Amino acid sequence: MYHKGTSKAIIAEAKQKHIGTRLWKYRYLYLLAFPGMLYFIIFRYVPMYGVVIAFQDFRINKGIWGSEWVGLAQFSKLFQGFSFPTVFKNTVVISLYKLIFGFPAPIILALLLNEVKNARFKKVTQTIVYLPHFISWVILAGLISMFLHPDSGLINEIVKVFNNGRGIDFLVSKQYFRGILVITDIYKGVGWGSIVYIAAISAIDSTVYEAAMVDGANRLKQMWYITLPALKSTIVVMLILNMGGILNAGFEQILLLYNPLVYDVADIIDTYVYRNGIMSSNYSLSTAAGLFKSVISMGLIIITNKIAHMMEEDGLW
Amino acid sequence: MKRKHNFYDYLIILVLVLVAIIMLYPFWHEFMYSFSDPVEAATGGMFLLPRGFNLKSYWSVLRNQSVWSGFKVSLIVTIIGTIMGVLFSAMLAYPLSKKDMPGRNIFVSLIFFTMLFGGGMIPNYLLVKELKLIDTYGALILPGLLSAWNIFIMKNAFSGIPDSLEESARIDGANDLKIFFLIILPLSKAVLATIALFSAVGFWNDYFSTIMYIISKDHWSLQAVLREILSNAQSAMSSSGISVRAEEAISSETVKAATVMVATVPILLVYPFIQKYFIKGVMIGSVKG
Repeated sequence: MYHKGTSKAIIAEAKQKHIGTRLWKYRYLYLLAFPGMLYFIIFRYVPMYGVVIAFQDFRINKGIWGSEWVGLAQFSKLFQGFSFPTVFKNTVVISLYKLIFGFPAPIILALLLNEVKNARFKKVTQTIVYLPHFISWVILAGLISMFLHPDSGLINEIVKVFNNGRGIDFLVSKQYFRGILVITDIYKGVGWGSIVYIAAISAIDSTVYEAAMVDGANRLKQMWYITLPALKSTIVVMLILNMGGILNAGFEQILLLYNPLVYDVADIIDTYVYRNGIMSSNYSLSTAAGLFKSVISMGLIIITNKIAHMMEEDGLW
Repeated sequence: MKRKHNFYDYLIILVLVLVAIIMLYPFWHEFMYSFSDPVEAATGGMFLLPRGFNLKSYWSVLRNQSVWSGFKVSLIVTIIGTIMGVLFSAMLAYPLSKKDMPGRNIFVSLIFFTMLFGGGMIPNYLLVKELKLIDTYGALILPGLLSAWNIFIMKNAFSGIPDSLEESARIDGANDLKIFFLIILPLSKAVLATIALFSAVGFWNDYFSTIMYIISKDHWSLQAVLREILSNAQSAMSSSGISVRAEEAISSETVKAATVMVATVPILLVYPFIQKYFIKGVMIGSVKG
């Protein structure tokens, strides 16, 4: 027994020493990781703790430690209030529009680019379509409002031809506002979004196409039976990411384009949080709205990832 | 594989040419508009060439002190933020690419979780306030400095570097710091350039941080200044001490166009040079690891 005990202690000691030396061996790597990890703790995890003010009646002079706890009162205020249900609906509707019309766009663009044989033309086109991704929403919003200007905007010059010389003030129209969001979102993102699909297509073995051609498959059939199936896992990953972002709906874009006349159709969770939290200092109420959004988004990512696994796809993790 | 072009080829090319024109025309339009005479430009329509060429609008943009101050702020923030962001991301990504490092999985999980969940706008604002960063360059740089996404892209790129290179350096007596700075970083230029481009564009185009964290106008980023000009050209000019005459009121549209060009041209100039890197970099990132 005595013997056994010591050997255990020795092994444990050796193990400890082993871990110690292992950690020491990696000391420089920990040193390298330190500033980055510290950053994530301070700028990502501390705000996560900060969401507790959603369960408080937060007063800035009392701080997070001194403010009164109110349980779920902020959430019931949020849902019984007049505007939040509309805001939530707008967020989902705008996102779904963007998903339905915006999600296939880069896939189609990638498929079209893949069919181009002239390498130079392909490259120039790619360079052009990526460009709007690099332009800020501030500038694009400026462009949009100039092009849609009811008197002098180019789009309205065309509209006037079909509308008895009258232009439409698109940006204050509840009927058109969401359509503008979707179209301009595609304009900015379609080229950039196509890169991942182009990358996935370029990874397809070209002998597969050659074999298909020998079997007499035309180009449409090749696209349908070879290219699209090869894109499936990329499409699934992008879909998961999109589902996670479904309550984002495009904060900057909307903040820069909307106005009180279209709040009914355009006010989303983020703009609501910004106006109520930052502009009106309703910290707890707007944090509750933000937390509601974060939790649902996380749930959606996890669920879609699960579904991806059930479909025997890799998913995001 | 080479075949003759048939009807479908021409159709596809036609569609893509149309797409390219739609993508480019707005910028061309603004470019030509900005060089036009304000009164002649006010008639609207297509702008394939400037009408009544003149540079008045550019003068009034360049005379605007807040444009210069915004330019300065954004330039400083972009340079410092990009260098810090790329450096710290790479420093964190390299250890994470070492599969046998104790604690690696904890680090990876901690970072990955930030992709799923975040505190949100108000807790972030309160943190920045608490750190006394309101109205400083720090508020424009720090909150968006590192992202889980960029770090994982870099981690994947570092994992692709053959271990043998590191081993031979280790035999020569180099430690991990030396290996990282003298071997890994120089070998990873494509991914570093990609992340640098992403973050530089992010900082240059950042409007959100200014409206969240900045109060005094001399710390406004360029985008915030642009927004003010684009949403109301006259008030921007008068608030910067330029008197508004009737003639200038009508010129406000061309001033807006010139403003758009002043802010876009730096991006257009840099963009073609970095393009080859970011496509490569995005492809590295799309390989999961």
